[in-house]
Amino acid sequence: MSDAAAAHDHGHDDHHGAPAGWRRWVYSTNHKDIGTLYLVAAMVSVLIGGVFSFMIRLELQSPGLQYIEDLQFYNVLVTAHGFVMVFFFVMPALIGGFGNWFIPLMIGAPDMAFPRMNNISFWLLVVGLLLLMTSALVAGGAGTGWTVYPPLSNATFHSGAAVDFAILSLHVAGASSILGAINFITTIMNMRAPGMTYHRMPLFIWAMLVTALLLLLALPVLAGALTMLLTDRNFGTTFFEASGGGDPIFWQHLFWFFGHPEVYIMIVPAFGVISHVVSTFSRKPVFGYLGMAYAMAAIGFIGFIVWAHHMFTVGFNVETRAYFVLATMVIAVPTGVKIFSWLATMWGGSIEFRTPMLYAMGFIFLFVVGGVTGITLANAGVDIAFHDTYFVIAHFHYVLSIAAAFGILSGFFYWFPKMCGKMYNEGLGKIQFWLMFIGVNILFFPQHFSGMAGMPRRIPDYPEAYAGWNFVSSIGAYISFAASLLFFYIVIQTLRSGEKAPANPWGEGATTLEWQVPSPAPFHTHDQTPDMRPQPAE
Amino acid sequence: MSAGRQIPRRRRGGNRATALSLWVFVAGMVGLAFAAEPLYRTFCQITGFGGTTRTADAAPRGMADKLITVQFDANVNIQLPWRFRPVQSNVKLKPGQEALVFYEATNLSDKPVVGTAVFNVAPFKAGPYFNKIQCFCFTEQVLKPGESVVMPVTFFVDPDMAADANTADVSTITLSYTFYAADDQSKAARIQADRGAPSAASDSKS
Ligand code: HEM
Ligand SMILES: [Cu+2]
Repeated sequence: MSDAAAAHDHGHDDHHGAPAGWRRWVYSTNHKDIGTLYLVAAMVSVLIGGVFSFMIRLELQSPGLQYIEDLQFYNVLVTAHGFVMVFFFVMPALIGGFGNWFIPLMIGAPDMAFPRMNNISFWLLVVGLLLLMTSALVAGGAGTGWTVYPPLSNATFHSGAAVDFAILSLHVAGASSILGAINFITTIMNMRAPGMTYHRMPLFIWAMLVTALLLLLALPVLAGALTMLLTDRNFGTTFFEASGGGDPIFWQHLFWFFGHPEVYIMIVPAFGVISHVVSTFSRKPVFGYLGMAYAMAAIGFIGFIVWAHHMFTVGFNVETRAYFVLATMVIAVPTGVKIFSWLATMWGGSIEFRTPMLYAMGFIFLFVVGGVTGITLANAGVDIAFHDTYFVIAHFHYVLSIAAAFGILSGFFYWFPKMCGKMYNEGLGKIQFWLMFIGVNILFFPQHFSGMAGMPRRIPDYPEAYAGWNFVSSIGAYISFAASLLFFYIVIQTLRSGEKAPANPWGEGATTLEWQVPSPAPFHTHDQTPDMRPQPAE
Repeated sequence: MSAGRQIPRRRRGGNRATALSLWVFVAGMVGLAFAAEPLYRTFCQITGFGGTTRTADAAPRGMADKLITVQFDANVNIQLPWRFRPVQSNVKLKPGQEALVFYEATNLSDKPVVGTAVFNVAPFKAGPYFNKIQCFCFTEQVLKPGESVVMPVTFFVDPDMAADANTADVSTITLSYTFYAADDQSKAARIQADRGAPSAASDSKS
C-alpha cells in the first residue's frame, strides 16, 4: 500500500492537495483514493482467499486425507474461500475499485455524489473482512458453505458464535455495498457532463448503473434472510425450523433470490470493462452500443426470476421446474447478444494484442465455456445428477473466478497507467496472461470430468477413481498461484520503476473521458465540467 | 468541447432527493423480504406446494381403482417434553376412500404444556390431493403432567390424483407430523394456577 501511496503522490499537484500521511487514507473522501483503497483491499483478500484455495487443492491432490484431519476445518476453508472471494475480492475490485475510480472520470464529474458516505462504505468493508476472519477463528469456525443453508447453519449444528460472526460480517459488507450502490446511482443519474444522455454514457457506466440497481434489489433480501437466521439461532424464532412451523427451503428461496442476481452483480461490471478494452484495442466503437446497454439491463432483470435453478433437487413439481428451466435459458439470449457484439467489434478491427486485450479475449472464451455449462445445468433433469458435484464447481469457476477475475485483470492492466502514471512491462504482462490462462484451464477444465463422474463438492476425500483429474487440477492450481505471484511482482515493479505513462497510452481507440486527463489522474479532475453536447454544425 | 459555450449548471439538492428515494426503495426491499414469510406460507397452503396438505369439510365423491399406502410419521421438537407416535404405522386405501387413524401423545414432564403440530406429506406433489377432514393439528393440545391422549385424523386422498399425469405414479404417501411447544402457553398456565403450582409457561417456551 505504501507503494501505491508513493505512486500517487506525484498526482495531486494542483490547488489544494491531499492531506498527508495516514490521514489521507483513513479520512479519505476522494474518489480516486477510495478506489485505490478498494483495490488494495481486494488484493489483500485475493491473497487470503487464494491461500485457502491453495490448501483445498493441496488436500485434494490425492485421495485420502493428507494434511487436513479436522473435517470441520476443511468445511471452514471452503466457506471462507467462497465468502472472501465473492464479497471481499470480486465485488470490491470491480465495483468499489474500478467504480470509484472511473465513474466520476468517465462521466465528467469532480467526485462521487456523497464523498463521506463513500469513505464509510470502504471502512465498513474492512470491518466485514475482520468479522469474517474472527468467525473462522472462534468456536471451530463457520463450516456452512457460502450458501449458509439451515439446518446446518442453525444453533443445533453450529452452536458456537462462528456463524453469528459470519452473519454479522455479511450484514456489514452488505451495508457497505448498499451505501456504495446509492452513491453510484445518484452520481450517475445527476452528475453526468452536459450532453451525456443515458444513451451516450460509456458502457462501463451502464454496467455500473445496472450493477448498483441489482445490489439495491438483492442485498436487502439477503439482509432480511440473515436477520431471520440470526433470530432463529439466538432468539428462538423458527423461520427456517420445521419443528416450529418454519421451513428450511424458505431460506433457499430467499438466499437464491439474492444469490442469482449476486452472480450477475459480479459479472456485469466485467462486461462493462471488456467492452471498453475490446473497442480500444480494435480501434472501433463497440458494435451495437444500445443492444449492449439493454442486454445488460435485460440480464439484470431476468436474473431476478430464475433463482430456483439452484434448487432443482428440493422437490418442485414438474411445472415449476419447467418454468425455471425456461426462464434460465432465456438469459442466454441477451448474453449471446453481448458475446456476438464483442466479436463483431473485433471483426475487421486492427487488433492490437496488448495485455488488457489478451485478458479481454480470454474473458470472452472462458465466459462462453462457463455459459455453455450453465445452460447444461439449467436443464432440471440433468441438474438432478450434476447438482453439488464438481461439474457445478467447474461451471461457476469458469464464469466467476476466472471470467470475472479476467475482467478484473483486463481492467487493471488497462487502467493501471491511468491510476499510477506508469507503464507496466508489456512482455511480462503477456507472460503473466499466458501463465494464468494455461493455469486456470488446467485447474478447472478437468473438474468437468470429475463432476460428470459424480465427485461431490465440499468433501475432502474421494475414491481412487477420481485421483487422476484431481491431480491435474491441483497442478493447474499451483500454476495459477505462480501466475498470481507474477502479477503482484508486475504491480510492484511498475510502481517502482515503470516508465512514465502518457495521458493516453492506447491511441485513438481509447475515446472515453478518463484518457483526456493526465496520467496519473490528478487528485482533482473535471473541476471544469467537460461539455459533451454534440458540436453545433458551423 | 467548445470552450465558448455556456455549461448548464447542475440541479442543486437533486442528489439528496435521489438518495432519499433510493433509501425508501431499500427499506421497501427489506420489508418485502420479511413479508415473504407469511406470503410463502399462504402460497404453500393455496397451492399445496412443498407437500402442504388440504382441508376438506366433506367426504369425496367417487373412488379411484388403485390401492395406495399411506405411512405415518411422528416427530417432536427437542424443546417439547412429549412422546408422540402413530398408533398404526400405515394403512392401505383407495383414493376417494375415507380413513380414520390415530396418533398418541404423552406429556412426560411434570408440568402442563400446550403443543401444536405442523405437518406435510411426501412426496410433495401429493400435497394438493391429500385432504384432511378432521385433525388434531387444527387445534392446540393441552396435556397435563403424565397425561396421554389418543388423537384422531380423518382424511382421504383425492381420486383425481390417479388421473393427474404428474401424480399417477404415486403409490405411497407419507404423512408426517412434528409437535412443538405452542407460543401461547396461557392454557397451561391456567391449569397450573388451578393446581396451585408455578406455571410451566416460562420454561417450556423456547
Ligand atoms: C448462461 C448463463 C448461466 C446459466 C444458464 C447458469 C446456470 C446455473 C445453474 C443451473 C446452476 C445451479 C447448479 C447446481 O447447483 O446444481 C448454477 C450455479 C452457479 N452459477 Fe451459473 N449460470 C449462468 C451464468 C453464471 C454466471 C455469469 C455466474 C457468475 C458470474 C454464475 C455463477 C454461478 C454460481 C456461483 C453457481 C453455484 C452456486 C453454488 O451452488 O454455490 N453462473 N448456474
Ligand atoms: Cu443462478
